Amino acid sequence: MSAIAAATTTLEVRGVTMRFGGVVAVDDVTFSARTAEVLGVMGPNGAGKTTLFNVISGVQRPTSGEVTLGAARLTGRRVEDVAALGVTRTFQTPVMFWGLTVRESVEVALAAREFGGTYPPAPWRELVRCGFGTAGRRREDTALRERADTILAGAGIAAMADRATESLAFGEERLLELARALAASPAVLLLDEPLSGLNPDEIEAVLASIRAARASGVAVLLVEHAVGELLAVADRVVVLDHGRKIAEGTPQAVAVDPLVIDAYIGDALE
Amino acid sequence: MIAQIWQYVLAGIAAGAIYALIAAGFVLIYQVTGMINFAQGEFAMIGAMTASALATGGMPVFEASAIAVVAASAAGALCYLLAIRPARAATGVTLIFITLGLDVALRGLGLLVWGTNPLSLPAFTGGASVNVLGGVLSPQTLWVLLTDVLVFAALYLFFRHTYAGTAVRAAVANPPIASTFGIPLRTFAFWSFVAAAAIGGLGGVVVAPITSATYDMGLTLGLAGFVAAVLGGLDSLPGALVGGFVLGIIEKLAGGLISTGWEQGVGFLILVLVLVLRPQGLLGRAVRRA
Repeated sequence: MSAIAAATTTLEVRGVTMRFGGVVAVDDVTFSARTAEVLGVMGPNGAGKTTLFNVISGVQRPTSGEVTLGAARLTGRRVEDVAALGVTRTFQTPVMFWGLTVRESVEVALAAREFGGTYPPAPWRELVRCGFGTAGRRREDTALRERADTILAGAGIAAMADRATESLAFGEERLLELARALAASPAVLLLDEPLSGLNPDEIEAVLASIRAARASGVAVLLVEHAVGELLAVADRVVVLDHGRKIAEGTPQAVAVDPLVIDAYIGDALE
Repeated sequence: MIAQIWQYVLAGIAAGAIYALIAAGFVLIYQVTGMINFAQGEFAMIGAMTASALATGGMPVFEASAIAVVAASAAGALCYLLAIRPARAATGVTLIFITLGLDVALRGLGLLVWGTNPLSLPAFTGGASVNVLGGVLSPQTLWVLLTDVLVFAALYLFFRHTYAGTAVRAAVANPPIASTFGIPLRTFAFWSFVAAAAIGGLGGVVVAPITSATYDMGLTLGLAGFVAAVLGGLDSLPGALVGGFVLGIIEKLAGGLISTGWEQGVGFLILVLVLVLRPQGLLGRAVRRA
């Protein structure tokens, strides 16, 4: 991507409502995310942020409303189909592929994207890995491994490439989860509290990855409780309270919005 | 006495080499789909019976064996497509009953096609038995051991050195998350049945010259393979190898030193002991649910 790819609307959330019995977790929320931007999603606990992510990624089907990505309607599709269209997410608690090394975790995401999920798809690629194959094919294979190493380096975890995922500390798991998500070349990246539980160095690494993803054209939706970091990295912010959107705008505007301040202070007093 | 025990051990290695192949099928399907396929032994029966019937009809042993492995693989593919996939929304217990039904159905099919008479398959190669430190191994047992080496080496290569193998391991680790990366779980489930059936069929083919082939051989082989898989750890292919040999050796020692009745029964004693004392098996991982 480059400057030619001016920010265009990519993900649209229109009138999404999610009811669980009598509880309205998300109430008629509408907003859109553009390519190459970080859209912060703020709100006190229970505001409906994670539910919103579940709706976008296809884990939950909204009671009403719809989500579209470009020309494609995401609502009603299965999780893996939404993912195939370019929506990747991370979780509040990182989910690892136990049994794989750090590098393998990234390679498997890269390969899955490259082979379009058609396993066992490219026998000759496998032969190259087992030690056979022509020079050209070997180069292609090397290129994939180099991309994996570039992604690991970008995430600040190149040094632990050969470690087993079981051996990672919590913060390292977060960094790997983000690297793995980026390896899937998403159009939209949903990050659910990617900074929680991290030390300052790890926070810097995650923020750098988020900025790099933005620079490469990804629409990043960021849910984060660390409001200072969120306002610093976000281009625009949507604020939810009790399931409703109460504000949307630049970080500067949102930070001084009385409704937003009320929501946060109200939450603190409850 | 020592010489006798050694001969029992060698006999146990010969038996265990087959159990390891059957157990590998159990482990493959369990890892990829989370289910236990109790029809696993029947793939060996189909392999053994097909090869023996074709060879009896005059076909050279190696051609007959190759066709038999293809036939067993096809049976595995059909089992998945006709019985497992339509029931994919079912719970674990239901799926187990489906595989028990498949087991009975395939055995019945064997009876219909080949009848009750045992069929024999010529040994792959002639030659004298091999002397191993005073004990003997038949040439056909060496073929079985060679098959073990090739099958487990191929599995190792696949899982450790291919993208597809890595993707399978990711799918095993966390199916829902793996699917969000475009890793096709259902395709893997299908191929796990085909591979397990092919390995089982190959096991049946290589053991047929030793035991001869009958329509009901799958039941005993399947149970022994299941015990071996549980003993080694249901989620561990190296465990299947180790479990197979340990079970074979214990069976032959129990049969030789206590009484032949124990040879059949000791496996179930082992099964109970493992499930009570070390449910994850010798090499399996303790169950961890995140």
